Amino acid sequence: MRLLRKVLVNLAVLVPAAALLGLGTAWYMIQAGSRLSTRTVGPWVTWSAAGRSDADPYTRAHVAWNAMLPVSSTSELSFRAKTDSSGSRLTSACDYAIVMEEFEPAWWGLAVFDGDGKLIANPAERHGFTSSTAMREPDGRTVIILARDARPGNWLPSGRSNRVVLVLTVQDSSWAAAIHDGSAAKALPEVVRTGCR
Amino acid sequence: MKRWPIELWPARLPRVQQLPVRLWLKQAQALLMRLRLPLPQWLRRLGWRRITAVVLLAGIVHICATLAAPMLSSRHAYLLVRDKLPANRMVVLPPQSPGNQLLPYVSPHMLYAVCRYDLSGGPVIVTATVADAGWALSLHAAQGDNFYVMPGQPLRRTDVSLLVIPSGPEGALIQKRDTAETPIVSPTPEGLIVLRAPLRGLAWSAEADAVLQRATCTQVRP
Repeated sequence: MRLLRKVLVNLAVLVPAAALLGLGTAWYMIQAGSRLSTRTVGPWVTWSAAGRSDADPYTRAHVAWNAMLPVSSTSELSFRAKTDSSGSRLTSACDYAIVMEEFEPAWWGLAVFDGDGKLIANPAERHGFTSSTAMREPDGRTVIILARDARPGNWLPSGRSNRVVLVLTVQDSSWAAAIHDGSAAKALPEVVRTGCR
Repeated sequence: MKRWPIELWPARLPRVQQLPVRLWLKQAQALLMRLRLPLPQWLRRLGWRRITAVVLLAGIVHICATLAAPMLSSRHAYLLVRDKLPANRMVVLPPQSPGNQLLPYVSPHMLYAVCRYDLSGGPVIVTATVADAGWALSLHAAQGDNFYVMPGQPLRRTDVSLLVIPSGPEGALIQKRDTAETPIVSPTPEGLIVLRAPLRGLAWSAEADAVLQRATCTQVRP
């Protein structure tokens, strides 16, 4: 009887603890990813197998839970940045310079969303830039200013939403190949915090 | 520093005293004692049999939860657009804007034509033109998995004609027939067909819109 009680007490404590641990780690791996499923270059993270038929279970779950429709193409990749290059979370309370130096894929598009993935309403009705719409500096760099209030140059409004997420889409087969084979030496844009209010 | 508990196997279970597993446990215990791992007090109090049980059980829960997650998701792309789009009809969406966004994180640099297909009434024929680099016609299962894609090629227009059929014996029968369209087996009876065109500036948007408008998605009798 004593042994039975001991077993029952153990089960009552250990089973919920194990369930919590198992579900928590699964949720983390599905939402945040790990080296098994993502590639990280600076603050930019991509789920490199997203959309592919041989995608790992974490990637498939990530796609399903985030309402994604990834295209399994060898020529396109989509990166997300939730932090700046120093690792601090992106917020509309701060201004950032997104510096593209020696960043020359065939085509790129950069868009800004709030923490829920919604486009941010702003009077300029601007939600991103592409390689065709962004102005270049005289030295060849492209600098995009992510800020709440208007700035000269490539101003990308961050609105009043607290959390901000940047999504960079790159269409270039050599870039995609470098990410897929793990030799992602090509530097993605830096996200530099320039000030906070 | 406290050492690991000496007794690893209950002494009340004499029948298993001689099992090799007991010897293995003894060896493992001896190794851990030599290592003198600086474990927190509460973990040492729990005992490593309980810790092992929790870790093993958590691992099983982790694997099951990860594998089941796509099926259990209540917010995959198909569910989110089901009430917004009619079934088996290609709809050209207006440019993505705040409050007029099909899905989270959908690119504002693309124009989209989307068909929500449902194969319960028969297969679906899709015709579309993939006009240039950056364009893509993609077929997605209900959970978002991309099971077919036709990416655009630079300066080359590709006309695509597909017959989306269900998996299983019904699909196999349709596949045996002679059809002008390329048969594509959908892993789920419902899903999404997305034709997207990059917004390369105002000068190109009218042309891109015209190509998107020509895309069709029609259900045919099985």
